[in-house]
Amino acid sequence: MESLTARGRLVRVVVTLVGAGLLLAGTLVGSDDNFPFGPFRMYATTDRLDAPVAEALVLARDAVGDELVLTERETGIRRAEIEGQLSRFAADPTRLSLVVDAYHRRNPDRPALETVSIVIRRHSMTDGRPTGVDTDETVVNWQVTR
Amino acid sequence: MRRVGDWLTTPVPLGRVAAFRTVVYLLVAADIVFFTGWLRGRTAVSGELYAPLLVGRMMPLPTPNAALVTTLFWVLLAATLAAATGRAPRLLGWTVLALYFEWLVIAFSYGKVDHDRFGILVALAVLPTVGRARHGDLTPSAKAGWALRATQLAVIATYFLAAWAKLRFGGLDWLTGATLARAVIRRGTFASDWLLDVPVLLTVGQFGIMAFELTSPLVFVLRGRARYAMIGFFYVFHAVTWSAITISFMPHQAAMTSFLPLERVRPVLWVQQRLAGRSRSPFGRGADPLGIPVSPAGPVVPVSPAGPVTSVAPPSGDPPPVGAVTGAGDPGPPHVEDTSGTGGAAGGGGADRAGGGN
Repeated sequence: MESLTARGRLVRVVVTLVGAGLLLAGTLVGSDDNFPFGPFRMYATTDRLDAPVAEALVLARDAVGDELVLTERETGIRRAEIEGQLSRFAADPTRLSLVVDAYHRRNPDRPALETVSIVIRRHSMTDGRPTGVDTDETVVNWQVTR
Repeated sequence: MRRVGDWLTTPVPLGRVAAFRTVVYLLVAADIVFFTGWLRGRTAVSGELYAPLLVGRMMPLPTPNAALVTTLFWVLLAATLAAATGRAPRLLGWTVLALYFEWLVIAFSYGKVDHDRFGILVALAVLPTVGRARHGDLTPSAKAGWALRATQLAVIATYFLAAWAKLRFGGLDWLTGATLARAVIRRGTFASDWLLDVPVLLTVGQFGIMAFELTSPLVFVLRGRARYAMIGFFYVFHAVTWSAITISFMPHQAAMTSFLPLERVRPVLWVQQRLAGRSRSPFGRGADPLGIPVSPAGPVVPVSPAGPVTSVAPPSGDPPPVGAVTGAGDPGPPHVEDTSGTGGAAGGGGADRAGGGN
């Protein structure tokens, strides 16, 4: 049997309570910015049954005219990260050069990209079911400058 | 307060922490290689998209570049693989905690924070405090008990507070909203796309998720089979989630093994026994699966696999029990309902364990 000293035990109890307090505070008033004590807000938002479901797509056209969808596989950038920084891309479309650079570094043999855009695709819904009608809205569009 | 302290430090066998340590540090390796392996590709992206989290702004962490991320990756990989062997548990443990935390701060500073890392981070923060622990050692330890209890609390908090977050951000309407439909549209698989045609099932799923998350703390009052059934349900939930929307929550699942009697899972020992049985050579007496010699001098103390070991007084002067395992041919999987606690685990205590360092 290995026991704890009174001090060792007290330290552990206090550390546990402090950690629990931080986590509770993060859950009550915090945000993702407070990692690792932020709220566990995965899938925590409520979506109305008839509200369209949106997803951001990074679309591109290359020098030979091919239309591409740039996913994490092509650029190493996750969709949720594009969505999380959408306002920064919209404020300064030249930031999309970062996505272009990431694409070319990962795919050095592919034709050069000429235009890149971020499109919000909205899947329309009725009673919690997709109707099959999608609408695209281009929120950022950028001509690649070399 | 005293009872809280007792509960938080309920002794568990050191061997459980040894096995848990191996699971946790191997998971860290798998995480940086596979789950967040994209971070190494991220170095193709310049520092401009890096929007550091609060902790990254408070601490003087450098803006990541290719050299930093590559160095961090290799040093962390080496440290965590070394830590998985149980060697230098404090030095390697604190090192892995610091480096892995920095890895996650970088990974989550590009606009998306994952929520499945709290349990594993707590595990990494408490494991070094246990000090040395050998695989198969059944000696009860209060330090080991606190480490596992803290991790368990973090795991269950992830569920319970997730329900809280749903009520905070989504409100009660979350239950009847289209959150799961949205998840399937965005991340659905062949296993889940059909659900979009039966929206009532998705709504039932939302009630089920809320109910299980809110009741998850009950796991601490359940005992024996009922507790394992609940843990089993949690794992099934993650299997379903993974097949439906490819979200694995793997770091969380690794931390959740803190509820299991891991000291009985001895894959290296079982392989050794099989090999020994096949070659008809005497089974390596007192051999530790990691090659560390174990003295069979220590008493094998009955341990409840359900977790808490109370009032264990090792009889002094007793003849040393045979440390090796009987039934070398086929030890089989551990039986969780078996409360004798000796099946499948080699005894061995009383050997040198580092003490102190609270």
